[in-house]
Amino acid sequence: MNEFSGDKAEIILAERRYKAITDILESTVNKTDENAWTYTDLFDHVFLHKFLGIPIFLALFWATFQFTFVLSEPFMVIIEMIFGWLGSLAEAGIGNPHLASFVSGGIIDGLGSVLVFVPPIFTLFLALSILEDSGYLARAAFVMDRIMYKLGLHGRSFIPLMMGFGCTVPAIMATRSMDNESDRLITILVNPLITCGARLPVYVLIAGVVFGAGQAGTAIFSLYIMSIALTIIMAFTFRKTLLKGKPSPFILELPAYMVPTAKTVVLHMWERGKVFLKRAGTIIFGTVIIIWFLSMHPWAATAGGELVGNSYIASLGHYIEPLFAPFGWDWMAAVALVFGFLAKEVVVATYGILLGVGEEAVGASLIKLGLFTPLTGYAFMAFVMIYVPCIATIGIISKETNSYKWPIFVTVYLTALAFLIAGLIIGVGRLLGFS
Amino acid sequence: MSEGDEDMTDFNLKTGKTLGIYAFSLGALYLIVGLLEVLGGYGESIPGDLFGGLALVVVATTYLSGVKGTLNGDYKGLSLLMGGLFLSAVFGILYLLMLGADGLMYLLGEAEEIPGLVDFRPAIWFFILSLPLIHHIRNMTQKTTW
Repeated sequence: MNEFSGDKAEIILAERRYKAITDILESTVNKTDENAWTYTDLFDHVFLHKFLGIPIFLALFWATFQFTFVLSEPFMVIIEMIFGWLGSLAEAGIGNPHLASFVSGGIIDGLGSVLVFVPPIFTLFLALSILEDSGYLARAAFVMDRIMYKLGLHGRSFIPLMMGFGCTVPAIMATRSMDNESDRLITILVNPLITCGARLPVYVLIAGVVFGAGQAGTAIFSLYIMSIALTIIMAFTFRKTLLKGKPSPFILELPAYMVPTAKTVVLHMWERGKVFLKRAGTIIFGTVIIIWFLSMHPWAATAGGELVGNSYIASLGHYIEPLFAPFGWDWMAAVALVFGFLAKEVVVATYGILLGVGEEAVGASLIKLGLFTPLTGYAFMAFVMIYVPCIATIGIISKETNSYKWPIFVTVYLTALAFLIAGLIIGVGRLLGFS
Repeated sequence: MSEGDEDMTDFNLKTGKTLGIYAFSLGALYLIVGLLEVLGGYGESIPGDLFGGLALVVVATTYLSGVKGTLNGDYKGLSLLMGGLFLSAVFGILYLLMLGADGLMYLLGEAEEIPGLVDFRPAIWFFILSLPLIHHIRNMTQKTTW
């Protein structure tokens, strides 16, 4: 069929299928007004507009992050208050100092510093669910396809990439719907660059510390834009080098717009958000206990956890610190990044334990100790966004590509890219006079 | 869909003129305030906000792109006007929610002052200004289906 018509067989089949549907509809449905514009026609003319489509998408995307960051702030304060109260209760009620340190400093501070980010994560998923259920997200895929196709990404990549804003693992599994192997592989390789929900706690903490509440939302938005830009650039690079060829055509049926119902929006939010809660109860909890142990021991040398600088974890941190010193990050950042390989949320939990403060004071402690300037803080967030994906993502890449080669490749290229981008941010920033 | 032959609403050349003038006024307001925000703000009520300002410029462009078509009674113009109204609602409600969050922060003891009228971002006022237009178009397109 390809040789005979010069077109792709799937396009011809799709055209025939839609012609058959149109014929059936014409012979069976009576329209009251042949020329009536529906709301879907009216809004599609705007949202799919040649020039306005992308600016509107970016504006709505920015609104999503403002909504996420500002709206979740009071709820984060409430959770901080609850964990702060639990911490003081544990310290006062447990006589054994070792056990008190474990419960208060390890479990409550460590886990609390992660759980405090439940509100922004759920708020982000709420906003994404509204966009999806209203039918807008499919339009965003359509609008972005114009750029994505030119840069070597298949339009169908958009859905797995959008899912990547939630969690990379199901996003990579969603690439199974792509029948062209090189399109699918490119989508898998670039998907970890899409900033998943697990990285949001790091952004919220660091951006809040270095940019303040007023500008934090904008700083986080810029990171998401950087994430999309890097995804497109890397896809283009892979298309031109490793996986040459043209992406296959994209056929997408746009659903009619609708007013989302509260029930489905909440259900979709919960489906996405529960992954975070599950991780908090399993891998994050386990890692927090390991970090607590390494930061409090040897018990005598750290004077019962008072002198974290003498702990095992500090030794590890000082050993790898030179790798990150050019970026202006200390040993705590080095340790946080290493443990962040297990799950990105652990970066925040590590600070909670190492600073020895409750979750309500992690940000204030970072400011007080002056561990980050706006420049080094922004570079740190960019590094967290790009560097080696979490262990679950590496596992799923291995499973979906049925090889060890691609997960190793992803780990190496993302780590190299993270060093490159963080270095560029620091270099250019210093040239512009930032410290 | 061919142009000019749609008649499921009472949208026509006469109503189009009124709507077009309203859309132009809103678009111009959004554009001026958006540019002021991008350029660093003006006074207490228009704070400097690069991305917030750019978002308002996008709303302004959507309105202004639809003015000519709306004046001519063309549905493509009306659709752009409706797109502008949708964005007005999104940003108006967003800033209202942000104001509510600030109020909650005050109640939790995390903010020094309770937000007042001076903290109303221009997008909230513009949203209020666009409500009559939303109401009018809602009535006008009552027979329209999704």
